[in-house]
Amino acid sequence: MRDLGVVETILRNRIHFFQEIRDGVGLGEKMRAMLISSLVFMALFGAVMGSTHSLWQALSSAAKLPLLFLATLFICAPTLYFFNVLFGSTQSLTQNVALILTAITVTAVLLLSFAPIILFFLLTTSQYQFFKLLNVGIFAISGVMGVVFLSQGMQIVAADAEGDSARRNVLRLWMLLYAFVGSQLAWTIRPFIGAPSIPFELFRQLGGNFYTNIFTSLGEIFGFFIVR
Amino acid sequence: MTNENRSTTDQILDLLLDALQERQSTRPQGDEPVLEPSAPLQSDSSPSATQPVAPAETLLPEDNPQPLDEEPQEDVPQTLEEEQDSVVETEAEAAWELALLKESTPPEPLPSIQLDKMLRRLAVAVGVIIILINIPFNRAGLSLARAMPDAQSLVIRDGLVLKGSGERIYVLENNQKRWITSLEAFEWFDYQWNQVNVVDDAFLDQFEDGRPLYVLLKCQGSPHIYALEDGQKRWIKDIPTFEAEGFVWEDVKFVNCGELLRLPTGTPIPPDAGPSPEP
Repeated sequence: MRDLGVVETILRNRIHFFQEIRDGVGLGEKMRAMLISSLVFMALFGAVMGSTHSLWQALSSAAKLPLLFLATLFICAPTLYFFNVLFGSTQSLTQNVALILTAITVTAVLLLSFAPIILFFLLTTSQYQFFKLLNVGIFAISGVMGVVFLSQGMQIVAADAEGDSARRNVLRLWMLLYAFVGSQLAWTIRPFIGAPSIPFELFRQLGGNFYTNIFTSLGEIFGFFIVR
Repeated sequence: MTNENRSTTDQILDLLLDALQERQSTRPQGDEPVLEPSAPLQSDSSPSATQPVAPAETLLPEDNPQPLDEEPQEDVPQTLEEEQDSVVETEAEAAWELALLKESTPPEPLPSIQLDKMLRRLAVAVGVIIILINIPFNRAGLSLARAMPDAQSLVIRDGLVLKGSGERIYVLENNQKRWITSLEAFEWFDYQWNQVNVVDDAFLDQFEDGRPLYVLLKCQGSPHIYALEDGQKRWIKDIPTFEAEGFVWEDVKFVNCGELLRLPTGTPIPPDAGPSPEP
């Protein structure tokens, strides 16, 4: 649990933290601490989400949520690294991964902070579509805060290298890519909440996509149509 | 008014006022370098330090509001700065943030507020609550997390099993409700009783009737097709009968001939079709 100290450093002394990443100070230790913290927090949040359906779903989501973020990281990290190198970055892949892990850790901490809210709604409402959208909203807020940290980190870590503005644009595009990959992967390994009228399933059949599902959920919540 | 006519108190007050004005006139040159609106702020300064004008003015006596000769030259940009306060502050804050972010020598680290302990407690509390709300509290295995009625949460989809006030059980497929014609069909298609959602008849009525769900069996080495009903195989006499009964080829399932042979033989379809051949 000593690894949780890294969260305080990230949240309160982020400039020091990013400068240490830039200087390559204790990268391995930092990454391990961030990885453990993120895994624990996301597993807890996943378990909260899945508890609406069944114990099996809670366990499944506790395993799948950290997997989702880490898989997205490993899918997207090489793109960010090579495009940064292309535009003059001198950072190593490890530094890039450490920065992305920082964003994931911030997201994980914020998700954990939202867990009591989710628990409250879990115990007081049963509307599946509302619960689903509530979670999507929370993920969006936490994810945005995470990438804001990533953006700041990138600015500090690569402050002296040439091509700063080009890399900033690369980072913006990469964030979009990260969001797309993340949402598609989330859709692929769903369910995380589990629809109440469907028995537990580890993975659901492919079909549809994340965005149309959110749209139809909104439609049902506001009474435009019934989700079919 | 001459000095001779004035009282000693007035003279002392004038001297004090002169001294005060002199000090005031020298202050902007020495003490307050942050008055430049476009200059980036130093890390040890705060946005509030950019507003020294008001305190300086309060130092002047009320009966002599005009400062010394040099004073207005210093005051004019300060007054303009105040008028553009919000714009300058935003720019200054942005510049400060950027300078802070890119600073090679970072500010002193903030002291710990034991956030790790707080996080650990939160994580433990969430973990304990997760366990508690998942513990079943009645014989049916209902837990607090799933105690809320889920009627509103029914997701209409293919494969949803529904039952109205009548005996019939339906399964939804392509926005049509298909009657599951027998217990054999229910079990054959692997439905479970806990999947059956009892709903209002009005809810069921919003769906058109689809083809009933039969179990039609055939084995590879035999040309005959049988309908499974009441645990018995019923031979379907010919293709016109097959089609007239509303059966479709997609519903025919291929099974092992031995399995078909083991099933007891029921009345054929139609009943006057004669003796049922074995597969």
